[in-house]
Amino acid sequence: MRRFLASTMLLLLGLLARAEDRVSWEITPRITAPGQPFRLQIIIESDIVLGGAQQVDREIRPPRGMALRLSGQLVRPDSNEATLNFSGVAPDQEGEHVIPSFNLRFARKMIMVPEVRLIVSNSVAYRRTAQARAELSLPDRTFYVGELIRGAIHLRAGDDEAVVASFGLESVAEGFSIAVTADRQPLPADLGQGMRTSFDLTPIREGTSELSLRGTMLIQNTDTPAFGNGNRDRPFAFRRKLTVEHVPERGRPADWTGAIGAFTAEAVQVSKDRPEVGEPIRMRAILTGTGNLDRLIPPEIPSSESWDVLPATERRRHAEEQRFFVYTLVPRLPGKLLTPALRFSTFDPLTKQFSRIEFKPIEVTATGNAPAQVDLVTADPAAPAGAKPKAASGLAAPAPQRGAPLFRGVPALSLASSAAFWSGNGLLLLVLLTLTGGVLYVGYLAAHPEIRRRRRARSLVRTALVDATAARRRGDRSAFALAAVRALQVGAAALLDAEEAAMTQGDLERVLPGAPRALLDALFGQAYGERFAEGAGAAGSLGEDETLELLRRLLTLL
Amino acid sequence: MRIFACLLLGWMASLGAAEDRVVSAAETAYAKGDYATAVEQWSEEARRDGVSAGLLSALGNAEWRLGRKGRAMVCWERALLLDPRDPVALAGIRHALAAGGTERPASTWAETYAAFLTEDTWLILATTFFWVATLCVVVPRLRGRAAGEWNHRTRVVALTLFALCIPGLWGGRSLSARAVVRKTEVSLRLTPTTFGEPLNGVAEGDVLRTGRPFNGHVRVTTADGKTGWLRAGEIEPVRGATLPADLDQKAAP
Repeated sequence: MRRFLASTMLLLLGLLARAEDRVSWEITPRITAPGQPFRLQIIIESDIVLGGAQQVDREIRPPRGMALRLSGQLVRPDSNEATLNFSGVAPDQEGEHVIPSFNLRFARKMIMVPEVRLIVSNSVAYRRTAQARAELSLPDRTFYVGELIRGAIHLRAGDDEAVVASFGLESVAEGFSIAVTADRQPLPADLGQGMRTSFDLTPIREGTSELSLRGTMLIQNTDTPAFGNGNRDRPFAFRRKLTVEHVPERGRPADWTGAIGAFTAEAVQVSKDRPEVGEPIRMRAILTGTGNLDRLIPPEIPSSESWDVLPATERRRHAEEQRFFVYTLVPRLPGKLLTPALRFSTFDPLTKQFSRIEFKPIEVTATGNAPAQVDLVTADPAAPAGAKPKAASGLAAPAPQRGAPLFRGVPALSLASSAAFWSGNGLLLLVLLTLTGGVLYVGYLAAHPEIRRRRRARSLVRTALVDATAARRRGDRSAFALAAVRALQVGAAALLDAEEAAMTQGDLERVLPGAPRALLDALFGQAYGERFAEGAGAAGSLGEDETLELLRRLLTLL
Repeated sequence: MRIFACLLLGWMASLGAAEDRVVSAAETAYAKGDYATAVEQWSEEARRDGVSAGLLSALGNAEWRLGRKGRAMVCWERALLLDPRDPVALAGIRHALAAGGTERPASTWAETYAAFLTEDTWLILATTFFWVATLCVVVPRLRGRAAGEWNHRTRVVALTLFALCIPGLWGGRSLSARAVVRKTEVSLRLTPTTFGEPLNGVAEGDVLRTGRPFNGHVRVTTADGKTGWLRAGEIEPVRGATLPADLDQKAAP
């Protein structure tokens, strides 16, 4: 029984071990120099018949700077083994580069390939010029939206390898429009044998984006016999980060309409230099240079007294870096005339400066007679029938000097938003209100004189109260009595609306009911007795406390 | 009398000088079709000497010729703020509406009324009449005398004119609360946020009525009555700096 169990376990282990897929890889050479071609071989052993792998190139993601391409796979229909060969070019950066793990899709199974590592080292002896290689030619600078960037991929032969063909160019450039302008053209003589693929890039929005280009070149060893089949492919890949900005608005001339590049105004040509008045001639201005020639908007030339200007079709010769601006001119007056001025502004991305392009006018002699009244020619004799005439402008003639200097100002600041204006008005209103209030107050006081009299009486009574207290402290009976009586008289006069000097003890009793008559008599006697009899005021007690209490009581009534 | 005669002579001399004035280089450039040079020269003149309605409207013409609708409309609208009857600015705006594809809100009766005078003139007149009426009421009271017949007449006339100024003030305020679209392709947004749902587009040069600002946006109403939000940087208020702003120029800290 034990033997049976042991053999069963062994059988199960064997089955399980067989169920695992074995994946191995090998890079030749194991350590490469920067830019050196290499081969990658992936060997797979499975428990089932695999068949051919599909869409391998889509699954594999080589690291930045590495070009990798499936060059072939070896699969036998009755075998559970598969071998996939890749050709690649090592990145230019030194270090260990990892191809991430990826899946291989076979007809009956999907197998995961573990990550593959490639070591790039400068210590490896490698003569780069010996082998065919691809080089990207693209300016290394900030680009501008709308400009035309000329780029090229140079497939250069090496000492030991020649470039036979190229195929499969793929480009990804987010934020750019890209167009291949010339493919598989021979290289210039100074670059040796090889091919060149030219392309035009046009940034369409600002920001940083990545340009990715990849393809394959077919190479052949130079020592291969002429009729031998020694061709093999080699991939290439470029990834470049590009920075794009808008053309700066600061310092941008008003007539800049999108021209970016370095241009030269070559010449102005006319189809006839001695036309008759009213006879249309064609004026052609030739612009040369490098830049977005095909994006240029032809400068507008307004009609004048001498010329009527009509738009005309233009032709462009792209290969020669030329652009023609063509206009139909109709002379309106006889005599020697200069062709209309033609000018516009451009932006040079290298110097980051704006400059103005101006075509030099040429002289044309118009023959014939001037019409009695020169009218604008509104129809192009050369235009096709049914074409709509150019809409007449409804702008009025400018008169910049109109308006007196007094009315020059700043429309940013209205009077309504001026703090000084409103604070001035507010101050004026405050003054007016204060004056009005003052006048009303004075008028009220004039209508009610008792207010003033009582106020005055209060003031005098308070003063008398202080004086009487001081006189009492000194022991001066006469001063005490005089101050008290005067205060009582003033207070009573204010309350009774009478003369102060006429107030007697009886009046005080009316004002202050319950005031002791004896005390009042004593006070009056002490205060005024000296006027009538010497020593009359010295008799009797004055009752200082009661007197002061009377004064305080009188004060509350005022 | 001598002073008056001197002033009269000086005024007549200035009129004579205006008649045979020298045509500026900008005008020459404009006449020759060199609108870029004309814009540069007139802009420089505006920065140096300040602006006038004539200068702004001429600048607007040159900007329009260069195809810069937004800047042209800003210039014309500002010219009308300085002189509501400037013929060049009025012709330019009519042309922009008829042939240039721009839109501008139709004037309300108060705006039409206000266009007889400038906003500042309306305010000065209203303030003057207000004070005349107020003083007519207050001064007799301050003097303590009954108001005379002339005082009553003046009071009624001043109050009537003050009342007539109020629609002008209202219309002037409404005319100032507008802005011009400066960006080429702009969409009104439903909400004043970056991800606000676009409602419908407005074009460069369109004039909009502006409302309250919020979160870096301004509530606007288009000529056809659509209401939404635009980023503050996409429009330029009519009541603004002397010359149209350079939109990508960062503000000073």
